[in-house]
Amino acid sequence: MAPSASGQVVVLDDGGSTIKVGLAGQSDPARILPNATGKVKGGPQLLIGDDIDAQADISSLSIRRPIEKGYVVNWKAQAQIIDRACRGVLPHSTKGCSMLLTEPLFTLPAIQEARCQAVFETLGCQALLTLPAPLLALTQHCAEVPNLPASRAHCGVVVDAGFSFTHVVPIFDGKVMKSAVRRIDLGGKALTNYLTELVSYRSMDMREEAYLMEHIKNAISFVSTDLKADLVKAKTSSKLKVEYVLPDGLSLARGFVREPVPLAKGETRTEQVLVLNNERFLVPELIFSPSDIGLQQAGLPQMVADSVMATHPDLWPLLFSNVVVCGGLATCPDFQERLLKDLRPLVPDHIKVDVWKPKDPIAAAWQGGSRVGASAQFAHLAMTKADYEEDGIR
Amino acid sequence: MPRATEGGPSDASGRRTGRSRKVSQRMAVVSETDREQVTNARLAALETDGGLQDNFGADSDAEFELQDSDQEAELGDQRNKRKRKANRQASRKTRARAGEVRGHKAFAVLLEEADLDPDDTQPNYLTAAMGPPLDGTPRRWCSVCGFAAPYSCARCRMRYCTRKCYAVHCDTRCLKFTV
Repeated sequence: MAPSASGQVVVLDDGGSTIKVGLAGQSDPARILPNATGKVKGGPQLLIGDDIDAQADISSLSIRRPIEKGYVVNWKAQAQIIDRACRGVLPHSTKGCSMLLTEPLFTLPAIQEARCQAVFETLGCQALLTLPAPLLALTQHCAEVPNLPASRAHCGVVVDAGFSFTHVVPIFDGKVMKSAVRRIDLGGKALTNYLTELVSYRSMDMREEAYLMEHIKNAISFVSTDLKADLVKAKTSSKLKVEYVLPDGLSLARGFVREPVPLAKGETRTEQVLVLNNERFLVPELIFSPSDIGLQQAGLPQMVADSVMATHPDLWPLLFSNVVVCGGLATCPDFQERLLKDLRPLVPDHIKVDVWKPKDPIAAAWQGGSRVGASAQFAHLAMTKADYEEDGIR
Repeated sequence: MPRATEGGPSDASGRRTGRSRKVSQRMAVVSETDREQVTNARLAALETDGGLQDNFGADSDAEFELQDSDQEAELGDQRNKRKRKANRQASRKTRARAGEVRGHKAFAVLLEEADLDPDDTQPNYLTAAMGPPLDGTPRRWCSVCGFAAPYSCARCRMRYCTRKCYAVHCDTRCLKFTV
């Protein structure tokens, strides 16, 4: 039964770090808010979603996320965050609207059941369509670069380097080739915690400041395109050294990055400063070489090669010519360049390799979702509340 | 007091000598399985929310969820105090059951319950995991300063690059981990 087209389609990209929300057909998500609930140490009030961003002092903020290892395990909290996210986007509430929701690949049936229950019963939606985020990101990329042969075939490899994990997803003719999907259990969250561990041991105990560390990581990290040279540079000079001035909660609400300021003799610092040197590039380096921390999984370049080579050899040239990076880690400077540099030697010579980055790697999946939500396809693919009540999850 | 009697290096009073204590600590080597456990514990710690110390804190997950009474307050519903008090008392009575309903399962539990087969011909969560790297030699970084580390501690096998870093390692980290 095809659902009626009545009711607005709200598109949600339910990411591990942030949730992007907006109405289908728009070019950019109307709101991007933290996908978390939080508390200030000692404070009684519970903060949901955008409350966290509104908080003036982000130090000592402790947060919980409904998503664990990339999958929503706490649908009660997730429904509350979605409800909050939709306020301001929808005129009333989620009741009666249709929803397009991203869902990671290989979601366990128990989680899907809880998801349907939350969407149809708690939020009162009328129709639901769930699609994997990499597929939507490729849709957006194909729309941005329409002249590419691979784009016309709606074909490519999406490297979704998000907050919870990193997926490599080969797609052909708009369909995910599930048997060739590869995953490493490393994402932005693990990198932030790794950075926290490093600075807590080397300079200052930051283990209480998870949310602040997230900001610091985003502000200072970059991917090295020539690791050996950068290591020498970091060791022998202070070219890569930066200082992060920590917020003090009084005059400075947000921290910032600056060039190292040498202290004159006898002078003492009034502000608290975190000095960062090789951590800046050795932290994102984990994605390219997880064995650095003892995780026995191959790095991203080998993952891409392995994934594509699990498909039919006739597809290799098409797939390798359209490697798309998206997700939060893709915004890290030189991520794209490094991937291309390391991937090239792993691919046979005669095959052309190209790595692309959408205009906005974080919002790409949402933008693709917006296109699908506005098309006639949506009504065909979506599951309606009546379907759900009749058959349960499909 | 345990006494070193069977041929152990002890002086007349039965006390262990300083030398033996020193030697025995030098010889204490962390076994391969223990080291593996430490690595796994560290990897698990990297996946936690809200800081590395939070796990041992008093915050329970339930505090991070909007309770029904909070929801009323949030909606600006000014109920009288007596009713809220009654609510609270009721919730205290049924706390055990409420916790059951409220508590969500961890992903590891859900994964176990799903009973997936890693050798399945149909792709699933387990089959999608990337295998080990092809080039078998992992890179080694100094556990103190982060640069390339040619040496490893004889006792705990953590890496270090110079004598200076080794001294820091011995003072701060060597054999001090807890699983």
